[in-house]
Amino acid sequence: MKRFLRMSYLAAGLGGLGFFAMSVLLLGVWPGRVLEHQIRGTEPDHPLPLTASEERGRTIYGQNGCAYCHTQQIRYLDRDVKRFGAATLAWETIYDYPQLWGTRRIGPDLSREGAIRTEDWQFAHLFQPRSVVADSVMPPFSWLFDGAPDRPKQEARDLLAYIQTLGRNRELAGKEGEARARASCECSDDEKRLAFDSPALNASPWMTRRQGNHPALPASRDRQRGLELYAHNCASCHGTGGEGDGVGAAGLLPRPVNLAAHEYTLDQLSFSLWNGVAGTSMQAWRDLPVEDLSSIAQVVRGFHIAQAEPTLPQDIVDLGAKVYAAHCAQCHGENGAGDGPSVDQFPIAATNFRKQRPSLDASLKAVRNGVEGTPMAPWTTQLSEAELTAVAAYVRGFYQADAGGPGR
Amino acid sequence: MSVSSDARAQPAPPTVETRLVYAHGLAAIVTLLISVAFGILASIELFVPDLAPNSPWLTWGRLRYDHTQGIMLGWLGNAFFAFLYHAVPLLSGRRVTSPRLGQWIFGLWNFAVVGPGWILVLAGFSQPLEWAEFPLAIDAFVVLALVLAAIQFLPPFFSRGLEDLYVSSWYVIGGLVFTLLAYPMGNFVPELVPGARGAAFSGLWIHDAVGLFVTPLALAILYFVIPAATRRPIYSHFLSMLGFWLLFFLYPLNGTHHYIFSVIPMSAQIGAITASTLLGVDVIIVVANLLLSLRGTGWFPKDIGLRFVGTSAVLYLIVSIQGSLQAQMSINQSVHFSDWVIGHSHLAMLGFASFAAAGGLIHAWQRIPWVRYEPMLLGIAYWLLLGGVTVMVLDLSVAGLVEAHLWNSSAPWLESVRAAKPFWLIRTLTFVPIAGGFISLLCGLLLGTRGGGLKSIEEGIGTAPIKEIAPRFATAAGERP
Repeated sequence: MKRFLRMSYLAAGLGGLGFFAMSVLLLGVWPGRVLEHQIRGTEPDHPLPLTASEERGRTIYGQNGCAYCHTQQIRYLDRDVKRFGAATLAWETIYDYPQLWGTRRIGPDLSREGAIRTEDWQFAHLFQPRSVVADSVMPPFSWLFDGAPDRPKQEARDLLAYIQTLGRNRELAGKEGEARARASCECSDDEKRLAFDSPALNASPWMTRRQGNHPALPASRDRQRGLELYAHNCASCHGTGGEGDGVGAAGLLPRPVNLAAHEYTLDQLSFSLWNGVAGTSMQAWRDLPVEDLSSIAQVVRGFHIAQAEPTLPQDIVDLGAKVYAAHCAQCHGENGAGDGPSVDQFPIAATNFRKQRPSLDASLKAVRNGVEGTPMAPWTTQLSEAELTAVAAYVRGFYQADAGGPGR
Repeated sequence: MSVSSDARAQPAPPTVETRLVYAHGLAAIVTLLISVAFGILASIELFVPDLAPNSPWLTWGRLRYDHTQGIMLGWLGNAFFAFLYHAVPLLSGRRVTSPRLGQWIFGLWNFAVVGPGWILVLAGFSQPLEWAEFPLAIDAFVVLALVLAAIQFLPPFFSRGLEDLYVSSWYVIGGLVFTLLAYPMGNFVPELVPGARGAAFSGLWIHDAVGLFVTPLALAILYFVIPAATRRPIYSHFLSMLGFWLLFFLYPLNGTHHYIFSVIPMSAQIGAITASTLLGVDVIIVVANLLLSLRGTGWFPKDIGLRFVGTSAVLYLIVSIQGSLQAQMSINQSVHFSDWVIGHSHLAMLGFASFAAAGGLIHAWQRIPWVRYEPMLLGIAYWLLLGGVTVMVLDLSVAGLVEAHLWNSSAPWLESVRAAKPFWLIRTLTFVPIAGGFISLLCGLLLGTRGGGLKSIEEGIGTAPIKEIAPRFATAAGERP
């Protein structure tokens, strides 16, 4: 009897160890082999490994628990794909020792973060998240900087370098890579749809784009709502009075625009809100309903105090036209529509004077000093004071206000 | 010091190393209070993110790492050790291997694992893996301490020849052996196997940490304290064994349910979801057996150790049914990634496991003649903790549903953050009853009269006078009379 009991204990003990071994085989080793096979079939020919700096950044990302608020895994679910982009393929994380998938989302998923923001924005955000996202609850990482968002230490540069890699390889794989991965992926139709057929690889509503169909903004009467939205989403950079002096402005180049010193057509505001301003830290706001964008546009237009426009003497107009044709039309276009022949070479579009009118002060400042962080250079060495004044006044004449004038 | 009985036709009484019970018991509550402090700070930073703007040591992520590692290894680890020093001699009829080895385990666990682990994490040395945040160097000491713990606690069972192995003993053996296997897997493998493939192993460990370390040892306490305190055998030894084997079969197979709708093969996901569903059924069996054994003691037994333990069983049932449900695809797709899951993990660790650990600690404390014991403070601790955990879990569950709803709408991401803030504030406020409860627990075990515990045993159940209990509890604990 005792011997039998001992044997049964031994059998039970081995059985118990077998349960554990089975779990490791079934849920660890076997899925690993399937994934390895899938990775070999779907990965692009030359995925970029992490550089030393990016690898150091990954370590900083891990040390500070970034993955405990930001997942790096877009699930095979419409709700995830709609918000963040194509579902994550196994090969996208092949350089992650250890993995950083995460199991909690307080902030958004970062699988495709690399393409969304400018460096300036990212640094400003890391230094003090609330300087660019007023309601963020992210901890500040100011200790990675020398006291200011535009003075990052090496650690901050490394961290950002890593962030910029997120989604990079999938982006680089391109249409060809996607097609090949789709063909060799042994996955269900539903999985294929979610991994390969999403409208955008990166569905972030914040990603800026140079072109895009922006909606016509309906007239808004809800000024209160507009002020609220402006305070939560815009004021941190553009300032409470729209003068481009918010707390976030210090770290951003080009500086956030002084909204009070410009008149905008509704169409221009719709374009900038819907598409962002490519090449600047002005993100897109496609996640806001169109009525909300209208309310914001109304607030923005309210910052500008209309004054009687002086009639320019003919000789100044002539001089301005001459200078403009010689020096400005190349980028800003013959008719001031920002469509000059050189404009495509630049990362930032030239101002379209037909849809926005700077105040004379702002215009003069721009031609004298240039606009830091953009291709607009200072012209004081090439042009005389009279020419500068003339052309600064002249460009204001292109503006074509909305019918009915600026909304109040 | 030791507890001994006057041998009356009984085998030589086992010696309980009460000093090690005491040392681990105090270490458990001290590390608990520190871990709670980490949790409170982290929870405040969610709505006061600029609390410590220039201090990397106090950044949210690091506090979050230390909070959960401290709870699992510091609080629960020490409390389990304290319980094992009390229970293993009584279960096996043999002394633990060596008191001197016990000092080494105590030193390693607290001064080579928990303490340095915390400091290293705050200094930026950690690994970003759930339930495995302490750096690899610390993991080596954990494994060493677990090996020593196996040497300390397992031989008493084997040297006795294994006959009459009570279910608590099964859980103790299972818990120690499986933790020793699972811990290295969860901590080392993802460092060697990248990305999605490593995540499959992380998923296993996330569940094994709770399922193979915390749950078996907590259940060992439940199965031990209930018969020992009620002085009645467990309702059904058959159900005990059925529950045990199903549990050790099913728990390891749950892991992948942390990554449903991921790129991990769908068949592995479905296997894990099936195991998660069956696990709920198993827990119904286990808890039914425990609650049937509690019949007649009322919902809130007068014996405070028993009261904690009985509540732990109920919370175990709730959290497991919840776990089975949220592993289902239809529910998981909504609540995954949200505060709902944070509520679930607090129900498991602060509810089920902490109530079991506190109950086991109190039970052991009552039987050490030379320690102080103040039942009123322990009663206060019980109510504060029960209130605190209830409010916190309900609050986080609702927060999770709100977040899930907003994420599935077209609302901007930040709407979900704004909507969560009031819930986060309430969650932080639950620190008042929770920290108060734990401080009260500590005071209840440090104040009062020496030997007050023995007196309370008599009052607690009211069936047998103290002079009969003193010799009996040593051998009767948990075993068939």
